[in-house]
Amino acid sequence: MINLENRPSQFALELKEISKIYPGPPIVQALSEISMAVTHGELLGIIGSSGSGKTTLLHIMGTLSIPSSGSIFIDGRNVVGMSDKQLSGVRSQQIGFVFQEFFLLPGFSALENVANGLLYSGIPSDERKERSFEMLGRVGLGHRANHLPNELSGGEQQRVAVARALVHNPSFVLADEPTGNLDSENTASLMGLLTTLNEEGTTVILITHDLEVAESAQRKITLRDGRVDSDLSR
Amino acid sequence: MDHSTSDKFSELHSKMGLRDILSVGSSGLRTRRVRAALSVIGITIGIAALVGILGLSQSGSADLLKDLDALGTNLLTVQAGDGFRSQQASLSSDATAMIDRIGPVYEVSATTKITGGVFLNDLIQDGRTKGITIVAADLNLLSAQRGSLKSGKFLDEMTSQFPFVVLGSVAAERLGIRNTSANQRIWLKGKWFIVIGIMEPLPLAADLDRSAIIGYPAAYKFLGFDEPPGVIYVRAYPEHIHDVRSVMPATVNPENPEEVQVGRASDVLEARIAASDTFLNLFVGLGAVALLVGTIGIANVMVIAVIERRNEIGLRRALGATKFHIASQFLTESLLLSILGGITGVVVGMLVTAIYAISQDWSIVIPVYVIAGGILCSILIGGIAGFYPAMRAANMSPTEALRTK
Repeated sequence: MINLENRPSQFALELKEISKIYPGPPIVQALSEISMAVTHGELLGIIGSSGSGKTTLLHIMGTLSIPSSGSIFIDGRNVVGMSDKQLSGVRSQQIGFVFQEFFLLPGFSALENVANGLLYSGIPSDERKERSFEMLGRVGLGHRANHLPNELSGGEQQRVAVARALVHNPSFVLADEPTGNLDSENTASLMGLLTTLNEEGTTVILITHDLEVAESAQRKITLRDGRVDSDLSR
Repeated sequence: MDHSTSDKFSELHSKMGLRDILSVGSSGLRTRRVRAALSVIGITIGIAALVGILGLSQSGSADLLKDLDALGTNLLTVQAGDGFRSQQASLSSDATAMIDRIGPVYEVSATTKITGGVFLNDLIQDGRTKGITIVAADLNLLSAQRGSLKSGKFLDEMTSQFPFVVLGSVAAERLGIRNTSANQRIWLKGKWFIVIGIMEPLPLAADLDRSAIIGYPAAYKFLGFDEPPGVIYVRAYPEHIHDVRSVMPATVNPENPEEVQVGRASDVLEARIAASDTFLNLFVGLGAVALLVGTIGIANVMVIAVIERRNEIGLRRALGATKFHIASQFLTESLLLSILGGITGVVVGMLVTAIYAISQDWSIVIPVYVIAGGILCSILIGGIAGFYPAMRAANMSPTEALRTK
């Protein structure tokens, strides 16, 4: 369970005037002066059509890409200006990713795939397994721990990916179109899981173009042409 | 708000133990076994070739050197060469006695070729001599050659007086005579001679292997032959062998020393060792080419692996892997591949050496430096082949790597 009291800042993530310009040619301004703050325990939906800058924003929030200007605070710590090695450390301990394509490694069991979420955190192998097994239980797949990805359904595979994103107890989870490859039944089931995990304390940032999926979010930020168009709380 | 102090960062560093690096590095091989096996074949062949060739040449040389040690390098052969005179020169009949008077000489044994055919019986006289030469020899010929007998005994004071013959190994084989138990007779220059001994091969005088050897007294008595020695074998103390060699022509023929040819019998064996070294260089070169091809093969497979596993690289970067972790993953994979190939190659090379050496009756010699060199070579190859792919993987931008199209 997430322990909110020990967090050093009230915000899991805070962006201040983030801009991203791709030098090109042609020069593309993907994001213009975006500012937002995500509180611990929030379920935030970021909505936007294709080309609105969703993916660029996700990469910047996840420290996979560096903004051209502005500051990013993760748990109160500015990560802009950190070295590549330091950013890797931030990702290994404070950020969880869920991708549209699941990205489970073939040849590795569900348990091993979840344990990969702890691989770069310096935790001993036995503890990694123990925590991963516990996490698989939380996403309802304890009984599938030793199955290979190709033996799991799409919905199950995405649950394994969610378990991998959460197993290191990150400050927030970035879910990039997590239901994009799922049918409506599995979409509902996965959104139910994310909502439950959020109710248990996990901060979830959901990036999607699907308005129906975004309905589960308490707060919705709409992007248009690299700017915040609206920021609505329920 | 700015908490970005270095002590805070240090607690956030990605960490990965050596065991995890090895485990992640081997994961690509475990999940793609057939490709891994195929991609190491080049290295396996190269290393096996090098280990096998070096092992075989060492085993072969060891065998030749052992022969050389056993046979000694102090045997000189003295024979008449072509003189300035028109007719063929010959040694004088007292040459043996004169050589015996040279201080450091301790054994002298004369032989003389006798023209005539050797046949299994008196019914075959069609001129097919099977290339066997009749040789009259001193009784100490076998000891001067450090030879041994396969069967029977050599000529002695008594048997050299009578029609008894000792066959060289090749001569016995050509006549189809395997042992001396049956008192086999052979038809030698129109007379019956009884075979009393068969010699083992004489490495220092291969022509004697094709000879039928009789005593000088018997040659005189039964074949009416009385000619001076043709080839004299001389054993001298090894430390004086050069001096003996240099005084030999003048001793044997003071008037025309240039008509005397002196050779060192062991030179032939030494030439064989030198010749095997020449082949060695050629084969080592071929092995090196196989290794180069193997290196390119592994580098190629690794480059493909990096392209194919772009998404995995992106995922691992998202999970917190540093550039170093990604580079070490692919470098480890390349090293494991080449070490696997190297170990297999060393084992195959050793097996080939052992099997061939046993088939040739050689002692098996595989120097430790060859085994260690094979493994080290494969590590080096893995490092070279994996370096570029590993760097390429490490420097891939995480956002690029995560793209699916």
